[in-house]
Amino acid sequence: MEKIERYIYAVTKRLPESQRQDVADELHSLIQDMLEENTQGGAVTDEAVNQVLLQLGHPRTLAQEYRGGKKYLIGPELYDLYMFVLKIALISVVALFTAVFIFQVILNPVHILDYFIDYIVSFFTTSIPVVIGWTTFGFALVEYFSQGQLEKVDLNKGWHPSNLPAIPDSNKQIKRSESVVSIVFYVLIIVFLSFSSEYFGVWTFHEGELSGVVPFINEASYSSFLLLALIILAFGIVKECLKYIYERWTKSLLTYTTVLNLISIAFVLFVMTTMEIWNPNFMQELVQQGIVNEGSNGYETVRLIWEQFTFWIFVLLLIGLVWEIISGVIKTFQGKK
Amino acid sequence: MSNANEHIEKLMQELRRGTITIGALSQLDEPRYGYSLVTTLKEKGIQVEPGTLYPLLRRLEKQGLLKSQWDTNEARPRKYYLLSDTGKEVLSQLHDEWLNIVSSMNRLLNEGGKKDGED
Repeated sequence: MEKIERYIYAVTKRLPESQRQDVADELHSLIQDMLEENTQGGAVTDEAVNQVLLQLGHPRTLAQEYRGGKKYLIGPELYDLYMFVLKIALISVVALFTAVFIFQVILNPVHILDYFIDYIVSFFTTSIPVVIGWTTFGFALVEYFSQGQLEKVDLNKGWHPSNLPAIPDSNKQIKRSESVVSIVFYVLIIVFLSFSSEYFGVWTFHEGELSGVVPFINEASYSSFLLLALIILAFGIVKECLKYIYERWTKSLLTYTTVLNLISIAFVLFVMTTMEIWNPNFMQELVQQGIVNEGSNGYETVRLIWEQFTFWIFVLLLIGLVWEIISGVIKTFQGKK
Repeated sequence: MSNANEHIEKLMQELRRGTITIGALSQLDEPRYGYSLVTTLKEKGIQVEPGTLYPLLRRLEKQGLLKSQWDTNEARPRKYYLLSDTGKEVLSQLHDEWLNIVSSMNRLLNEGGKKDGED
């Protein structure tokens, strides 16, 4: 009976390879048993076969019963994380493309319309599909290779009423949107620093178009600078993720923040004292570009600003890192008294 | 009215799902193949579709409550299922739980009947 074979094939092709043969054999003997009972030992007609197969139901339903449980591309255990990552990634990409667009317009304002069209079109043709595609693909791979292990993750495990988050106290609370915005911001800086080092400086324009850039950073030590920046920024992202998870200032969040910031501070101090990361020829290059004339009052002012700026930026960075710890301490222990 | 029927159907489905497992386990202290189990259960008043029972037997086997063996001696090869040691233990506990549920439910339903008076 060819129809029986076709039915069995339709069921088993939806099952994992390892089960197919066994299920097929079992269905075979089941269908034979059912036919025998329905025809009471008489001749097996086409109609009888139809009856039996109809009784067994749609192959898809039967296969679903065999697989047991539901099939997910991304299961409920991963879904929340997936949505979080996707949200961040999408916001980052939109922000990045917007930044690139603004950048292009500044460099070349005449072509604003072309850039704008590219900007809009790229959302639908590349950026958004790519982000959604890869994020989904990554999570789907995890789901696929977890082979049902994820279902064993007991979401209630280790839960105790004492872990209940406090009702948000406006002082201690960290808004999730703030963390998201910060993460996007960090991602943008990372992308900018990694891919457009040559634009990180003073821009000079000639007849409305960018004619040259006097870099802030010493090109010889750019890679060290980049490494330092990336480490501090990556720490920043980790901190924001923690804030997103905790949603308020707690002792553990404070501990993590403090540790990360102390490491960052050590890095900053190390770089500040051992490396020359600022462009040593900054002033000369400014003169060459014709922005200031050597010996003029303007030159002296710019030189002062440059020296102060390069010094204070480190100080501000350090103050910022220290302040984050202090404000964390204040917010954590506020209201406990 | 059809609305009530819909509800009844759904609730009955949920009710049956658990009972079929206990019912199947209860009949497997000696080896049986799927279709004979369908027939026996039907004779004893438990309606179950082969399309439900066969996958259920495989799941129970995978969970270790049943063991199975192909009998290829007869004209038609059949897969026989039998309670494992774990299965026996599970069944005996389920049995007690079931009796508890039945007596509790009886008490509930009977009390309810009394309060509502006649009708």
